[in-house]
Amino acid sequence: MNAFAIEHVSKSYILEGAERPVLKDINLQVGHNEIVAIVGASGCGKSTLLRLVVGLDADYRGTISWGNHDRTSASKVGMVFQDHRLYPWLTVQGNVDLAFDNTRLSAAERRDRTSHYLQLVGLADYAKAYPRQLSGGMAQRAAIARALAQEPEVLLMDEPFGALDSILRMRLQDELLSIWEKNKVSIIIVTHDVEEALYLADRVLVMEPNPGRIRDVVEVDLPRPRDRSDPAIAELKRRCLATLV
Amino acid sequence: MATIGAEEDIRVVRSAPDLHLARLKSFFVSAVLICIMPAVLLAFWWAASTKGWVSAQVLPQPDWVLQTFLDLCANGDILAAAAVSFRRIAEGFLIGASLGFLFGLLIGKSKTADSYLGPTFRALAAVPSLGWLPILILLLGIEESLKIVILAKACFVPMAIIAAEGARNVPKGLTEVADVLRLRASTRFFKLTIPAMAPFIASGVRLSLSQAFVSLIVVEMLAGTDGLGYMMVWGRTLFQLDIVIVGMTVVGVVGFALDFVLKRAELLIRRGSGANG
Repeated sequence: MNAFAIEHVSKSYILEGAERPVLKDINLQVGHNEIVAIVGASGCGKSTLLRLVVGLDADYRGTISWGNHDRTSASKVGMVFQDHRLYPWLTVQGNVDLAFDNTRLSAAERRDRTSHYLQLVGLADYAKAYPRQLSGGMAQRAAIARALAQEPEVLLMDEPFGALDSILRMRLQDELLSIWEKNKVSIIIVTHDVEEALYLADRVLVMEPNPGRIRDVVEVDLPRPRDRSDPAIAELKRRCLATLV
Repeated sequence: MATIGAEEDIRVVRSAPDLHLARLKSFFVSAVLICIMPAVLLAFWWAASTKGWVSAQVLPQPDWVLQTFLDLCANGDILAAAAVSFRRIAEGFLIGASLGFLFGLLIGKSKTADSYLGPTFRALAAVPSLGWLPILILLLGIEESLKIVILAKACFVPMAIIAAEGARNVPKGLTEVADVLRLRASTRFFKLTIPAMAPFIASGVRLSLSQAFVSLIVVEMLAGTDGLGYMMVWGRTLFQLDIVIVGMTVVGVVGFALDFVLKRAELLIRRGSGANG
């Protein structure tokens, strides 16, 4: 059973009277607990695709279907954006608590779960801090905690580590994997970093712009934890880059 | 490197009390600068009235005015007049600013509402509050309701314009987060819309109150039987220009204080709402 499936999805914008296709005939099945990475040059529509899946944009052709729900119960989709998008007037705790707004949880349960997810991303000591008091990496971890607190079946990540330095990025990738092992969740991560994609994902989709389409699907059949300097990864990277560049 | 770091530390430690002193100094400097202009005016006034450049009936001497002020304070006239005026401002502000906020929220949030109501609103808003006076006197008479309506209108317009601006400026990224998290309408309102609009609301409050204050004095002068504005008209009728000048001074000082306090409050709200983070 798939967590969700994208079938023949196309989208275009009208620009200066002319139709500009952004996505053309995208097909993708994501299994439960699978990590799929999407890489591609900027402008290939990879972020647009996530926006369609999460429901921020309903203007497309084709179907997006969910394993055991209809389209409207996509409440089990969480999203992490490139910028943390924390509400600046709420504490870290207050931001995570937003995830329970549309649930019937009691105040005590909300508090427990909030501290659980903050613990998970290593921000237990910063529950009462405001976003402006956090570093970039901490803010992004808070955003991940907020998305996880929704307990999504599918977590969409739009270049979540793109704005961070490379060392912090590697550390957060490892954290993401350890969270993923503890929580059953499918992850789709959009990135322009091929190494990040190959390190994290079970499958890497290589997209091409004008119009955005899937050019290649690379299966990463390597056990975790992976070695970043594994020759097998280098081999796959060569294949991805050959398509991309 | 270590040496540089140490020097930095020393400099920081030393500069801490200096900073305090500097702040105090700059406070006094600005206080003195603020006082220069009033002092010059006062000196000029003094010279004009005592040297007989202007008749004492038209421009009474400053010490007479001070005496009148003290008398008016002592017999409670000025306090009574001020109380009437402030009650009017409070009523007009509560009605006008809250309606203005709701209206601004409506046309800021809904493009449809804006295209239906926006142009009419902007055309009506272009007529100054006092331009409404002739027709409103015919409709409402010169009683209390006239003043409240004029003041409410004076508060409504700036509040509505700024609230609409604020509603349009709720960051799109944060709205998308609300969509993804499926926040309930009330949560969305109190935890996203209102905090994001807070700096705008603060500006709206400040501008509405200053508009109300200006309109109040004029409307009391034109159609009133009490209040600070009426006190000034009454003084002129009696040819007691000292009362007029006391009135002007009180209005000026109160207006300045009001603006000062509200500007401070606005700054605090802007900082608190994390507009910088």
